[in-house]
Amino acid sequence: MFYLGLLLTLALLVAALFITPLRYKVWTALAFVTTAAIAVACYAISVLAGSKPITLAEAAGPIFGVERFSIDPLSALFLVIIGIAGIATLIYSRGYLAQYLGKKSSAHISLHYVALVTLILSMMLVVMSSGGFSFLLAWELMTIASFILIIFDAQKAEVLRAALAYLIMMHVGFIFLVAGFASLHSVTGSAAFSALPMAFAEGKTILLFVLFLLGFGMKAGMFPMHVWLPEAHPAAPSHVSAIMSGVMIKMGVYGVLRVIWMVQDYSELQIIGFIVLAVGIITGLWGVILAAFQNDVKRLLAYSSIENIGVIFIGLGIAALGQASGNSIVATLAMCGALMHTINHSLFKSLLFFGAGNLYSQMHTTHLNMFGGVAKSMPVTAILFLIATAAICALPPLNGFVGEFMIYLGMLNSVRDGVNTLAAAGGIIALALIGGIVVFAFTKLYSTIFLGSPRDHSVAESVEVDSTRLVAMAIPTAGIILIGIVPQVAINAVKQVTMLFTPSADAIIGDYITPTLSKVSLTALLVILVIALLYVIKSRALRKRTVESGPTWGCGFTSPNIRMQYTGESFSENLEAVATSLTQNTVEGRAVSKSEIFPSAHNYDVRHKDKIDRLFTEWWVELLHIINKRIMRLRTGKINHYILFALLFLVAIFILSLLNII
Amino acid sequence: MGIALNTLLMLIVAVSITGVINRTRALLAGRKGLPFLQHIYNARLMLRKGAVYSTTTTALFKIAPAVYLGAAIVAMLFIPVADLYPLISFEGDVICFAYLLALGRVALILAAMDTGSSFEGMGASREALYGALIEPAMMIGFATLAMFCGYTSFADIFAHEQSLNIHLTIVMLLTAYLFIKITFVESGRVPVDDPRTHLELTMIHEVMCLDYCGVDMAMIQIAGWLKTASLSMLAANAIAATGCFHWWLATPLAILLTGVSVGVVESTQARNKLLRNTTFIVTISALAALIFFIGFLLQLNINI
Repeated sequence: MFYLGLLLTLALLVAALFITPLRYKVWTALAFVTTAAIAVACYAISVLAGSKPITLAEAAGPIFGVERFSIDPLSALFLVIIGIAGIATLIYSRGYLAQYLGKKSSAHISLHYVALVTLILSMMLVVMSSGGFSFLLAWELMTIASFILIIFDAQKAEVLRAALAYLIMMHVGFIFLVAGFASLHSVTGSAAFSALPMAFAEGKTILLFVLFLLGFGMKAGMFPMHVWLPEAHPAAPSHVSAIMSGVMIKMGVYGVLRVIWMVQDYSELQIIGFIVLAVGIITGLWGVILAAFQNDVKRLLAYSSIENIGVIFIGLGIAALGQASGNSIVATLAMCGALMHTINHSLFKSLLFFGAGNLYSQMHTTHLNMFGGVAKSMPVTAILFLIATAAICALPPLNGFVGEFMIYLGMLNSVRDGVNTLAAAGGIIALALIGGIVVFAFTKLYSTIFLGSPRDHSVAESVEVDSTRLVAMAIPTAGIILIGIVPQVAINAVKQVTMLFTPSADAIIGDYITPTLSKVSLTALLVILVIALLYVIKSRALRKRTVESGPTWGCGFTSPNIRMQYTGESFSENLEAVATSLTQNTVEGRAVSKSEIFPSAHNYDVRHKDKIDRLFTEWWVELLHIINKRIMRLRTGKINHYILFALLFLVAIFILSLLNII
Repeated sequence: MGIALNTLLMLIVAVSITGVINRTRALLAGRKGLPFLQHIYNARLMLRKGAVYSTTTTALFKIAPAVYLGAAIVAMLFIPVADLYPLISFEGDVICFAYLLALGRVALILAAMDTGSSFEGMGASREALYGALIEPAMMIGFATLAMFCGYTSFADIFAHEQSLNIHLTIVMLLTAYLFIKITFVESGRVPVDDPRTHLELTMIHEVMCLDYCGVDMAMIQIAGWLKTASLSMLAANAIAATGCFHWWLATPLAILLTGVSVGVVESTQARNKLLRNTTFIVTISALAALIFFIGFLLQLNINI
C-alpha cells in the first residue's frame, strides 16, 4: 500500500510540474516541498521538544518484511535540516534558473524540478525509514534524483563525466549497504536498524559497522571515498550543490549515527570510536589541505565539505570513546558538538554555494583568479558571503564556533579526566590544524573574489542578483547569526538526540553545557559590542579630521597594475611548498622564466589534482592493463598451444573433481 | 576589586613590554635609548591624526582595525594575573581565547587583501600560513595545562592552590617556555618577523598594515600590545604556578620575560629566511606535542 502511495505521489508530482507553465514551475515545486516540510515539521518539532516517537506509516516490502516510517529525535533533527535547506534551495532556484528558461526546453526544466522535489522528499523518507528495503529504496531514489540534478548541463562533457562517476561511486556504496542489511537480516531475521543490537550481540559488531561505515561514508565523502565530491559539485547547478553539500552528504552522517549508538558493548564501542576518530582526522586534514590548494570556487567549497564531515566524525569518535569509557560529560559534549556542527554546516555551506551561484550567474565563471573586487558590484552577496566565511572559519560570534567549541571542550575534558588522553590530544592537534588551514583557505577564497580590484571587465560590469535569491540566502544567514548569539537556546534542538546516545545527557546539558554556552553567548555579545563601540568612536573622531583617499601604496613602485595583485594561486604558494606531495599538479602552458627580461604574453594554468583520484580511476585501469598483458602471452596464435590449453583444462577439471573440490 | 586590579595589571604589562624591549636593545647596543613610554607618545600622536584610505578598499578595510582591537581586548579579559580573577571566566574559555585571536587575524588578513597590493598580499598569505601552523601548538599547550591542573579555564588553572611538586614544576616551566615561543610568533618578532625591517618583501605583520595610518594604525599597534601581554602573562602565570606565587611576581615576570628575551634575541640574532619560518613554527608545534607527552608520562608516575 505504502509503495503504491509513493508511486502515486511521484506521478502527481510529475503531472503537476509538467502541466504548470514554465515560469510558475518553481512555485508548484515549492508548494510540494513546503507542504511536506510543514507536515513533518509539526511532528518533528514536537518530538524534538520531548514527546514520544511517532509512527507515520507502515510498508510491507518484498524482501525484508514489514518496515515502519517513524519520527524519533534523530529523524526529527534531520527532517528540520532538510526542510529548511529544501525551502531555501527552491526559493533560490527561481532566480538561478531564470537565465536558463529561454535556453532549455520546458520539459528539461520540469524534469529538473521533479528531481529536486524527489531528492528532498526521498531524503525525508531516508531519515524516517526503520531500515531494510524501504531505506534502500529511498536511498536509491535520492541517488538517482541527485544524478538527474547534476546532469542539468549535460551538453558539457565534463558534467556528464562527473555525473557518471558520481552514479558509479554511489552504487559501489550502495552495494556495501545492501551487504550490510543482508547480513543483518541473515543474522537476526530482521533488517531494521533496531535489530542491530541483536546482531552485535552475535559478535558481528566490527564487521557490520565497517560495512555500514563504507556504505554511508561513500555518501558522506569520507576519505578516501571523497573523490566524487569535488567533481560533482562544480558540475551541478549551484542550488543543487547547496542542497547536496548542505544536506545530502549528511545522510551519510545520519546513517553512521543510527548504527553507532546501537553498539552496547563498550569494548567494541571503544574500537569503533578509534576508527571513527581516525577516519575523521584523516578526512578533515586531507579535505582542508586540498581545499586550500583549489582555484575554483565550487571545488574549494566541495573540499571544505569533506573537511567538515571530518570534523563531525572527530566529534562522533570522541563521543563514542567517551561513552565507551563511561565518561558521560565527554560523550555528551562531543555528541552535541558533532550534531550542532551538522546543523551549522548545512546552514553556512548552503549559503556559500548560493553565493557561488550568484557569482556564476553574473560572471559565468567559477575560476577564482578571474574575479576580484566583486564586493563593489555585488555588495549584498559580499556581506552574506563574508558572514558564511566567518562562520565556516569557526570565528566567534557566529554558529561555526559553537559546534567546534563543544567538540574541543569534549576533548579537553577527555584529556583532563585522563581517559583516552592520547586519542583526544590527537583530536585536538588535528582540529586546531584544520581550524587554522580553514582560515587560510577561506581568507584566500574571500579575498581573491570579493576584495582588491577587478581582474576582468565582466566583474566590473556585473550587478547584484535579484531579490528572491537574496531572500533565499537570508534564511541560512538568520540561522547562522541566531545560533551564534544564543547557542544556549539552540542546544535544545540536539538535546533529545543526545539523550538517545547518552541517557544522562539531560542533566549534563542542563547543569553544565547550557550555563557554559550562556557565557559563550555573553562573550559573543561583548565582542560585538566592543567592536561596534570602537568603530563608532573611530568614525566620530574622524568626522572632524581630514580623511583623504588615494591609490594603494605601491612601496615606491610607481606603476603598479591590477595584474600584480595576489591571486589565489600565489596566496596558497607557501602552503604548497610545505604540502606539495599531497597533490598531483598538472600544468598547461608555460610560466615566465627568470631569464625573460621583457616577458611576452603567457598562458599558464596549474591544477592541483587529488592523488586519491588515481585510486578510483587510473589505478584500476593500469592494473587491468598489467593483467591483460600477462594473459595475452597465452594467446600465441598456434593451434597446438590451444589444444594443449584445452587438455590442461580438462585435466585440471578431472583432478579437481577427483579431490571433491568441485 | 580583584577583577579591577587584574585588568589594570594587564594594561600595565601591555604598556611596559615594548618599553622594556626598547631599553634592552639600547643597553645591549650601548645606547641611551628612547624614553620608556615613547611608544605611548607615538600612539597618542597617531590617535589624533586623520586618515588616508586607498580607493581600492571597501568598508571592510575601515572596520578591520576595530575588529582586530576588539578581539584583542576581549581576549585579554580572559587572562588572569596569577591567582587574581579575570573579568570573564568559564569552562572552555581557553578555546574562546584562541579563536578570538583567530578572529583578529582574519580581519587583518582580509583588510590587507582589500588593498589589492601585492606586497600586502604576501604578508596576508604568510600570516595565514603561520597562524594555521601555530594554532596546534597553542591548543595542545592549553590541553597540557588542562591535563595537569584539572581545569579548562585560565582562571581555574592558575588560581588553583597547587602543592609544590616536582612534576608540576617541570611541566609548568616547559609550558612557560612554549608560551614565550608562541608570543614571539604571534607578536611578529625576530626570528620569525622583524618589525623594523626596511624591506617590504621580507615583512609579515608590518607589511599587512602598509596602507593604514593615523587612528587605524594606532588601533592595530595597541591590539598588538594587548595580544603580546596576554600571551606573555600566560607564560608568567605558568612559572608563578610552580611555587604558588601571586600577582606581585607574575606581573613583573610577564613584563621582563618577554621584554628582555625579545630584546636580547633582536639584538643578537638575525631573522630567519622566510623558508625557514615554516620549519621554525612547525618545530614549536612539535615541541608542544612533546611537552604534552612528557606531561602525560609524568602523570602516569613512571620513573624516568
